[in-house]
Amino acid sequence: MQSRNGRYITGFVLLAAALVILLLLNLMTGSVMIPAGEIVQILRTGDNASKAGVIVSQIRMPRMLAAMLLGGALAVSGFLLQTYFQNPIAGPFVLGISSGAKLVVACVMIGCLTGGIQVSSGMMVIAAFAGSLASMGVVLLAGIRVKSMSVLVICGVMIGYICSAITEFLVTFAEDSNIVNLHNWSMGSFSGIEWHEVAIISVLVVVTMIGVMMLAKPMSAFQMGEMYAANSGVNIRRFRIFLILFSSMLSACVTAFAGPVSFVGIAVPQLVKRLFSTSRPLIVIPGCFLGGCVFCLLCDLIARTMFAPTELSISSVTAVFGAPVVIWMLLKRRARG
Amino acid sequence: MKSDARVNAAGSFTAVEVRAGYAKKTVIDQVNLEVKRGEIVTLIGPNGSGKSTLLKTMTGWLDTQGGSILIEGRNMQELKGADIGKKMALLLTEKIKPELMTCFDVVCTGRYPYTGRFGILSEKDKEIAADAMKMVHIFELADRDFEQTSDGQKQRVMLARAICQDAPYLLLDEPTTFLDINYKLELMEVLKALAKKGTGILMSLHELDLAGMISDKLVCVRSRRSEEEAAAGVQSWIDRIGSPEEIFSGNYLDELYGMAPGTYRRFAHESRIFKD
Repeated sequence: MQSRNGRYITGFVLLAAALVILLLLNLMTGSVMIPAGEIVQILRTGDNASKAGVIVSQIRMPRMLAAMLLGGALAVSGFLLQTYFQNPIAGPFVLGISSGAKLVVACVMIGCLTGGIQVSSGMMVIAAFAGSLASMGVVLLAGIRVKSMSVLVICGVMIGYICSAITEFLVTFAEDSNIVNLHNWSMGSFSGIEWHEVAIISVLVVVTMIGVMMLAKPMSAFQMGEMYAANSGVNIRRFRIFLILFSSMLSACVTAFAGPVSFVGIAVPQLVKRLFSTSRPLIVIPGCFLGGCVFCLLCDLIARTMFAPTELSISSVTAVFGAPVVIWMLLKRRARG
Repeated sequence: MKSDARVNAAGSFTAVEVRAGYAKKTVIDQVNLEVKRGEIVTLIGPNGSGKSTLLKTMTGWLDTQGGSILIEGRNMQELKGADIGKKMALLLTEKIKPELMTCFDVVCTGRYPYTGRFGILSEKDKEIAADAMKMVHIFELADRDFEQTSDGQKQRVMLARAICQDAPYLLLDEPTTFLDINYKLELMEVLKALAKKGTGILMSLHELDLAGMISDKLVCVRSRRSEEEAAAGVQSWIDRIGSPEEIFSGNYLDELYGMAPGTYRRFAHESRIFKD
């Protein structure tokens, strides 16, 4: 028991250390390299007059914070869905939830642009949330008919493809020149995020995360199966609804501000569970959040520096790191039988 | 009759005129049965007769289609949240697949109804869980990964889990399914010990010999077979409730399982390999 607490502490310390290092690296690197000392100086004085100051406080800081918060949100969203479906492959991207959100957001953006209306962040979030819930609803409806989880996941993947195809179609035939932005957004990127957006993200993510932590106890009962959970006093129906709402909210937040981001939701919870060697929600939820922060900061760092000044889409980087994790996980399952 | 059951319900777990089934389909009707604390009551009957459906309804998982289920005089619907777990523990046939949990962790989940907002276990909870593991002789499995254990071991871990829930009533659905004969007998011993301590036990069993050996009361669930029985509408009903002596006497068991009269008796007689 003692050694286990030790492992939890080590895990959190490791993740926190990685987080601090990556935060610093993200502020330092880019087309203009800014040494660590100067970063500290800028942060302490609150300088946003000098060139370096502007780069750090207006460009890199908001982007870094967004990547961090949204990464954490995605990982937790994935963990919630995996618990719900009792399937390790479930995640917002795989189940088509991100794509559903993307479709609705694209519709709203195109609608507003043609109507000459400014698209606010609030509208984006609401659109993404509606899209998430809609595709989740379709997956769940399919779930009433088919009991097999693998079939359900395949349904999700197909819904994802359909939504993406429609989005592509809309983007291709939309007329406005602003569509370039839309195209960039639909590829997934943390670039160009501004402070007021970071503020909205923070509020949404923090509030939802508090809600998620409140679900930690019923979640661990739910891991024993529904009937045992019900016997332990979990109101299964209410629990399921909250789980769906929270995971949709978290992934909607990501899709609204950064577009669809793949694999974080699957890979991070797996890695975190192995790191802590437990699936206890009370540990895994904060672990996933931290792990998601670290994972996305690393991926975003690579996305913008690897082929600078050309930026990669965030999904292409998360996929390179995330997909092998998923394959490894499947092989391991197979080996165990 | 109905009011009698309510009056006596104070120290027992009772079904009064219960109708049970799935969705619109009624499986079993007019169930009246009572499990007193310290008593072992066993449901027997052919496959598919609705024993599981009845048990699932008694746990509160399936809503009753009619009638009421009372735990110590209180209607099950009135029991909120964790209170159910404090009154009734379960051992089901559904397999669980917890990830990265030791057997001890799994047993500890039985203490959930007693934990606070975040489900953190106290030292006392851990002690109770350890005691429960000792009672079913699996304490040495405590640190083993649950998924790496055999089906029989898993079943005993789940039994320890149910025991540490410390509830006055224990419901078991086919608890012997994955067990070898030695563990079956061991399970019977554990159940007897629990009953002696005042736990009321309701379970379903396939093995008539075990059921006859351990039970205070046998509840015979019979399903319709002939055309005329089918015409009556309901699929199953409780045909008889009685002590093992009563149920095993005559050719009643043959009738219950739809065998030619005398078949079970002959089988039991011929299988008596040990002659003293």
